[in-house]
Amino acid sequence: MMVTTTTPTKKRLETIGLWVLMAFGAVIMIFPIYWMFVTAVRPKDQIFIPDVNLMPTGWVWQNFADALAHMPFLHWFWNSTVIAVVAVAITVTINLLCGYAFAKFRFAGRDVLFLAVLSALMIPVQVIIVPLFFVVSELGLLNSYWGVILPRAAEAFGIFMVRQFMVSIPDELIEAARLDGASELTIFRKIVLPLSKPIIAVLIIFTFMWRWNDFVMPLVMLTDQEMYTVQLGLNLLKGQYNTEWTDIMSIALLSLVPMLVIFVFFQRQLIQGIAGTGLK
Amino acid sequence: MTQFINRRTILKTGAGLGAGLVTGALGMPALAQEKQLTFAVWGGDSEVAGYRNVIAKFESANPGVKVKLDVMPFAQFYQQVDTRLAGRQAPDLFRVTYQQIGRYASNKAAIDLTQYLEKDFGKGFTPAVWSAVNVKGTPYALPHHTDTFALFYNEELLEKANIAVPSSLDEAWTWAAFIDNAKKLKTQGGSSYPFAMSWQNGAVHRWMFYLYQHGGRLLSEDLTASRITEKAGIETIAWTQSWFTEGLVPPSTSVKSAEKVQNLFANGTIAMMLNGNWQIPFVEQQMKAKWGVTYLPRDVAMADDLGGTCVAVSRDSKTPELAAEFVKFLVNEENMRSFVNTAQLLPVRTSIVDKGIEFSLRPNEMKVFVEQTKTIPEHLVSTVIHPNWGRFNPKMADELDLAFTSGQSAEQTAENIQAHIERLLLRA
Amino acid sequence: MNETATSRFSGWWASFRPRLTPYLFIAPNLVLFSVFIFFPLLYAAFISVHEWSLIDEPFYIGAENYTRLLTDYQFWQAMKNTVIYSVATVPTSLAIGLLLAVGLNRDLYARTFLRSIYFLPVVVSSVATAIIAAWLFNDHYGVINALLKLVGIQPVAWLSTTSWALPSIIITTLWTRVGFCMVVYLAALQSISPTYYEAASIDGATRLQQFRHVTWPLLRPTTFLLLILNVIHSFQVFDLIFVMTGGGPGFSTTMIVQYIYQSAFATSEMGYASAMGIVLFLLILLFTLLQWRVNKRTEEFV
Repeated sequence: MMVTTTTPTKKRLETIGLWVLMAFGAVIMIFPIYWMFVTAVRPKDQIFIPDVNLMPTGWVWQNFADALAHMPFLHWFWNSTVIAVVAVAITVTINLLCGYAFAKFRFAGRDVLFLAVLSALMIPVQVIIVPLFFVVSELGLLNSYWGVILPRAAEAFGIFMVRQFMVSIPDELIEAARLDGASELTIFRKIVLPLSKPIIAVLIIFTFMWRWNDFVMPLVMLTDQEMYTVQLGLNLLKGQYNTEWTDIMSIALLSLVPMLVIFVFFQRQLIQGIAGTGLK
Repeated sequence: MTQFINRRTILKTGAGLGAGLVTGALGMPALAQEKQLTFAVWGGDSEVAGYRNVIAKFESANPGVKVKLDVMPFAQFYQQVDTRLAGRQAPDLFRVTYQQIGRYASNKAAIDLTQYLEKDFGKGFTPAVWSAVNVKGTPYALPHHTDTFALFYNEELLEKANIAVPSSLDEAWTWAAFIDNAKKLKTQGGSSYPFAMSWQNGAVHRWMFYLYQHGGRLLSEDLTASRITEKAGIETIAWTQSWFTEGLVPPSTSVKSAEKVQNLFANGTIAMMLNGNWQIPFVEQQMKAKWGVTYLPRDVAMADDLGGTCVAVSRDSKTPELAAEFVKFLVNEENMRSFVNTAQLLPVRTSIVDKGIEFSLRPNEMKVFVEQTKTIPEHLVSTVIHPNWGRFNPKMADELDLAFTSGQSAEQTAENIQAHIERLLLRA
Repeated sequence: MNETATSRFSGWWASFRPRLTPYLFIAPNLVLFSVFIFFPLLYAAFISVHEWSLIDEPFYIGAENYTRLLTDYQFWQAMKNTVIYSVATVPTSLAIGLLLAVGLNRDLYARTFLRSIYFLPVVVSSVATAIIAAWLFNDHYGVINALLKLVGIQPVAWLSTTSWALPSIIITTLWTRVGFCMVVYLAALQSISPTYYEAASIDGATRLQQFRHVTWPLLRPTTFLLLILNVIHSFQVFDLIFVMTGGGPGFSTTMIVQYIYQSAFATSEMGYASAMGIVLFLLILLFTLLQWRVNKRTEEFV
């Protein structure tokens, strides 16, 4: 926090002014989501009335139930959840191992491999989607959860963040444990991981978010509508000829809920975690 | 010099790297011991319902056979089908528009159906659609339905402006009368714009029927040369461009936008819309004012768009004979009749068209569409079924969009389109 | 078995194992990357010297795809738009994110709630964002124009004029990115030790001077991180364009990945699309390497 020498009243005015500004910005930020909500509870035949109404014109909660019944959304929520949870479990584990290796070990080819890993972020997925389809189909994983989980299980951004964070773990702790004869895996489990709680939280949140919102890859790998994720379902709703706005808005809102829950739950660690990613 | 690469060997090497590490697959594998067909389609609720009805009937008539309907979003439909074809995993059957079947046929991605059809099978269909599914006299798909365009209008707004609507094809408005009426609607107010045309989202080929109405052509009679730069071509571009420059259509309804014209019609932003028969259920549900459908405007000729889809059997099908059985069942008279009625589409069997068909929803409006199907020019059909039409379409959209929104001159537009024609539509 | 041999072996193994460890730790990721990223990338490079419509066999044409790129007006337009889009969104979202972070770092009422609101748009999927934005910005029934009318401003033809289409996309992007930058900067600000500020204020520095000489330099690593990530993200914009404008009007919102997609799947030119993809990849890689070099001078990456 910056230290100042201004008078108390001036400071108070400043704080209030700042708060107003922030609140105003927040209103703008939340507006599209507010609009989603208003549309979701609006009676269906009032979506396209010429006079746009900012306030809810009705409270048709039935729309949510209708949307869920119209398409197998609960099933799709389940698919999305399974995929996201398994992906998070795998990605977080291997990212931690990999980031630790890049941060704390010296080995041949380390920098080149790290750059190679980073470069994976730079390939537009549209360019590799067809060969990716071949690979997944040759592995017999088309139309299955693994076909969506595995291709994205290695997340370069996660490795980058873990590495930045772990660089600041004191080498002495690790050396001491080695001298005591502990195996590398034990050192990792008993020393490194407990110190990395914040970054684990960060990884969980971001990885869950990315897998939950994945679109291009699942679209190509999941050919069976029963295997669809929520995002694919939303895209289907967006529609052939005409959009069912109440359905889409209801589902889009509902699909934010898991993300919100996770964010609120891990919020404090999120800030703490990013604080450690070598930003000193 | 052509070099064909054995993709399979490269693939096997690459996949071999990872194959050993992966164990098991969560989820549903698609192999089944009973006979199964997969049928990939896109469609709104009523169309999907129509397909499911036919499937149920087929399954009960053929015990032990299951037909799985894969409903995919239209925007990514061809991406999916093509990717799966590339990976030799395509569905047994897939829906496809007449404009796209040529591409699949000429690449042998859809199989030749001759051996499964009786002699003169094609004679049961209207000539325009049968020629659309044939390449050099060989059928690669079976026509399922067609769609076409007509003029929807807001009754109340037209009454207020004292505009009389043509009651028969012969009385269709001329281009001049159409523009006059549009201007009347504009000065009267009541709606922000007089009309809009539905040609967004990849449907730019619908611009072509205006060209034919004006006596113009995209290609010569024998399809070996471009004719777009002739006077009729340039004038058609200029005329449709004038809709935008004179404020007769909303600027957001150009060919590359994502605007849905029927939304504008339903909420009163436009007084008339040029759109297809499949929009009737939506308009019925969303439109508050009274509305009707009348004939398209015409110039030296009347012409309309070839819409609709056919169904093809893919080369990856392990049971082509069964798949062919299904398609034939799908397009037989009884099933076609009930399908088009459920989905508000137009039949393509001469028997149905001759006997007449009474639609449950808005039968009088549907009659207008049926009549308009008779005005689809044969040459238009032979132009759009070119195997490269799918590649040419987006390029034509680019040029027309520049003319409509960015002031590119009609002459320049015609020349640019000609360059694309020469690159894509004229080579062997 | 010979005693000395076994003990020598276990001695060798004991000293070899630590050397093996890092490779074992990075192995799962490397294997996954190789199978699912690098192999497809190599395949794309392979296809980039062919012509391929996906439904037939690839056809070797040498460097023709690359030479075609040089004279393709639409490609250069797409590159230009993507660069403009990147320049317009990246520094802006960083700047706004930083301002928000500085503001919300202070002890304000309902601070956590406000932070959550700013972060919420980041969490909305690109599909949902595109759908909502397309509707909000719609010329005729969009809410933004309705709001403008309320305050007496003429409605703007957001998505149908070449001058406003790109700004609409930019605004929507800022909505989804500032929250992310804010959260990252917040964390960085909180890890700056107060002693730095105390020392500076004792020396008589004003708040602005403190920011310039203490905060900003200490934030450089964060800025580096956000810069790279946001540039990569902006070069890959696709869903937004696809749903909101289709690349139009004209070519005003045609972006490079969207043009790649169109070439791959709409005009059936997978070889050409792959060539563009490889070029894009190399450009981003070059940019990252340059940033890396610049950054290495100011920050030590162990």
